[in-house]
Amino acid sequence: MKMEDMSLSGLDNSKLEAIAHEIYTELVEDACLGLCFEVHRAVKCGYFFLDDTDPDSMKDFEIVDQPGVDIFGQVYNQWKNKECVCPNCSRSIAASRFAPHLEKCLGMGRNSSRIANRRIASSNNLNKSESDQEDNDDINDNDWSYGSEKKAKKRKSDKNPNSPRRSKSLKHKNGEIGGNPDPFKYSNSAGINYETLGPEELRTLLTTQCGVISEHTKKMCTRSLRCPQHTDEQRRAVRVYLLGPSASLPEAEAGVENDSFEVAESQALMSRLQWDGSSDISPSDSASSKASECSGAGGHTGGTDPSEGQILRHRSLCGSKTGCSGMSSVQEGLNRPWLQSLEHLVPHLGGAGKFGVHFLGC
Amino acid sequence: MNKDAQMRATINQKLIETGERERLKELLRAKLIECGWKDQLKAHCKDVIKEKGLEHVTVDDLVAEITPKGRALVPDSVKKELLQRIRTFLAQHASL
Repeated sequence: MKMEDMSLSGLDNSKLEAIAHEIYTELVEDACLGLCFEVHRAVKCGYFFLDDTDPDSMKDFEIVDQPGVDIFGQVYNQWKNKECVCPNCSRSIAASRFAPHLEKCLGMGRNSSRIANRRIASSNNLNKSESDQEDNDDINDNDWSYGSEKKAKKRKSDKNPNSPRRSKSLKHKNGEIGGNPDPFKYSNSAGINYETLGPEELRTLLTTQCGVISEHTKKMCTRSLRCPQHTDEQRRAVRVYLLGPSASLPEAEAGVENDSFEVAESQALMSRLQWDGSSDISPSDSASSKASECSGAGGHTGGTDPSEGQILRHRSLCGSKTGCSGMSSVQEGLNRPWLQSLEHLVPHLGGAGKFGVHFLGC
Repeated sequence: MNKDAQMRATINQKLIETGERERLKELLRAKLIECGWKDQLKAHCKDVIKEKGLEHVTVDDLVAEITPKGRALVPDSVKKELLQRIRTFLAQHASL
């Protein structure tokens, strides 16, 4: 230690500077040597020139910097139709419509299914008792009234109206439909339980969306007023049922014709429908006439039991059963072996005649 | 002369013992990468290797080609900073 101290303190400035430079040079040469080793190893292992490409391909992938084109030199098309797939309902929606759709689908608006579902979960509503009361009133009513049809949906197991005639017509129907085992599934989640909503809520809801009550889920359809799954007649009937006979369809719906649905959906629908060319009755005609009977007085009680032939004809008008996807419980029943389906269907429908009425409505 | 060599050896030993040498090396490497020195030298290496042929390159060739260039390419700021740190180190240990 003593030696070091002496030697270091004995140095003059220039010597110190020389030593500093020497150390610096050593360090730099160390760095160079390190680099040389690195490069040499890369060369011998064969990965030194990996990131090199020949000039031709470099030219191919050059970044283009010109006005009007993107960096790949492609013309940017603003109006190109871009579609997004909704993560929630996995439908594909045009990009410009995606945000509004997502708002509805994921639950930002007050009418969204998610908020509605939460509301249902949190509250046992007063309306419930009301509808129960109605149930009791209707329990002895004629099977053919529209109101009791609705009740039949609610109390599937309560009823057992079963006549051979109805069974027969159902059997036919079932045989026909059983050949097509691909039902349009009605999503359980897309619906609002109308029983838990107040009258004002119902009113606003029905002015903005389809609102037809699914037989299967007993919830309201949350699609637009022009939803192709349900007909105007179904919508009108629901409004009469929920808001009273004074209620009518909102303005937007009044002018709707069969072919004025949203383009994408109507195409899909049209492809599913197979119109019976030989039929002399147009589906809308028969549907509207029948529906007007049904909805006129909150359910008619007459013996307009459609004959078997009528049902079949209307079945053909309805096209493939996917054409009336709103009635999923019907389809569900129809997809079972027919023996089961008879038992299954009849409680659902309150009899085969209902089935006919339904199909007319479809 | 003998005394001078002994003194250098002592200083070197001190550099290593205190870990200062490693720290300086790390600093230098970071600075050189930062200022692009390494990339420049690599590009130069490529030229050298292409010239000599991929199979015939040795470490000695590379060192001989690269070291002078490497020394010259070190930016002044890096050089100054490094020298400053070395001087500080020496001053600390000279005053002991």
